[in-house]
Amino acid sequence: MESNFNTYLKEKAGVSADQFDRMKSKLLTKTIEKGQLILKSDQVCKHTFFVEKGLLRFYSIDEIGKEHLVQFAPENWFVSDRGSIYFNEPSAFFIDAIEETQVVMLDRNFIEFASEISPEFRNHNAFLLQNHIRMLQNRINLLIGASAEQRYLAFIKLYPDLMLRVPQWMIASYLGITPESLSRVRKELAKKNFTKQ
Amino acid sequence: MTTKKIEVVIPPREPHFVGDGFRVHNFIPSAYRLDMQRMSPFIMLDYNSKFYFPPTDTPRGVGVHPHRGFETVTIAYKGKVAHHDSSGGGGIIGEGDVQWMTAASGVLHKEYHEENFSKQGGDFQMVQLWVNLPAKDKMSKPKYQAIENKNINRFILENKGGEIEVIAGEHKGINGAASTFTPVNMLNAKLNKGAKTDFSFPENHNSALLVIEGSIRVNEVEQVPTDHFVLFENDGESFTIEALENTVFLVLSGEPIQEPIAAQGPFVMNTKAEIIQAINDFNMGKFGFLED
Repeated sequence: MESNFNTYLKEKAGVSADQFDRMKSKLLTKTIEKGQLILKSDQVCKHTFFVEKGLLRFYSIDEIGKEHLVQFAPENWFVSDRGSIYFNEPSAFFIDAIEETQVVMLDRNFIEFASEISPEFRNHNAFLLQNHIRMLQNRINLLIGASAEQRYLAFIKLYPDLMLRVPQWMIASYLGITPESLSRVRKELAKKNFTKQ
Repeated sequence: MTTKKIEVVIPPREPHFVGDGFRVHNFIPSAYRLDMQRMSPFIMLDYNSKFYFPPTDTPRGVGVHPHRGFETVTIAYKGKVAHHDSSGGGGIIGEGDVQWMTAASGVLHKEYHEENFSKQGGDFQMVQLWVNLPAKDKMSKPKYQAIENKNINRFILENKGGEIEVIAGEHKGINGAASTFTPVNMLNAKLNKGAKTDFSFPENHNSALLVIEGSIRVNEVEQVPTDHFVLFENDGESFTIEALENTVFLVLSGEPIQEPIAAQGPFVMNTKAEIIQAINDFNMGKFGFLED
């Protein structure tokens, strides 16, 4: 069966079957157990992870031990500490698996190699960086200015099935609100939208 | 009447935990030859084989989660479960009771070990089934049938051979306690050692049984031990059972629902678009609200 990564590169980036065949031998795939860390803070991040199947999270831990969830990465998402990779500096973040996860691991060599083989890959890689910045800007804007309900509505639009896959406290952490506030938001929405039959 | 032959006997798979309160072997749909279409209308069967849970002050179980498009049926063999749902339904079921929840258009529910059972600890043994609904009933109103053991009609075998509880459908003229949307027979058989009996279902029905206690001989040839699942072929109508020791087994038979199945997590619909709708409705609070 064609991997999700292959389908992704074909459909989203326009990489041809022939180009993919030439890249394939340099691709590294790995299964991450639930709970297993693939990046720890103070390590230099070497890879960008593409999620074939499963679910990763990217987070930090503050000085009192509280986790702050920056990004979820379900199927067909990329996740990495871009700063750590590019500037070759220790990461402030952790990445681990919420579910057993299959990842494709892309390092700097692969990205250079694939970009030489395929101009489409190179273009798409640039697009991904711009898209990442766009997402971060939106996220900063929501975190500093939006209500809990607006943040929740943006979350379910971006990650439709995660409410079914992830514990509430993790989603609250991603939204920057308490689990109680998340519960309140969902209760208010149910009041508005639930019509008892 | 022609004999319904065994297609395959399936041993229990490695158990996994659902929440922290249910240690289950999944048979449908993950076992070989037991996908959702093959055993339709039974689209999921989790079996918590007898397992001892030590005492705890915090009841174990599964927190709030949604369902849409089917019914959940819980049969308690050992232990007690408390259940609440967003349509206001709820209650406690204990040994021999059955909880038949029609999720249909959508409910949120949670299931926990009952408080006193949790405090005392003890053996826990349950079957949970998902029974599919035909397209026309998938968005019908949710409802809840709490079926106490004393209200389940029984067929009594001769010579103190035991009894067959008719949870749903019909058996030898005895009618089941639960109402169903499509033809379903669900029988809980308790036979004493040496007892023999037979079961008869239409050829086109998907039929199976699960041995809960003891061991049995099927069609006078195949010996089936505890915790094993027997899938029958779809030709032939009747099969015989002999109890090799005191035994309990669950018999299932149902008319297949000949419709496409689109399933994701707790939703079972007919199309991918209906699944996306279900996820969206759940996210937007259209299933109501239930406190964790």
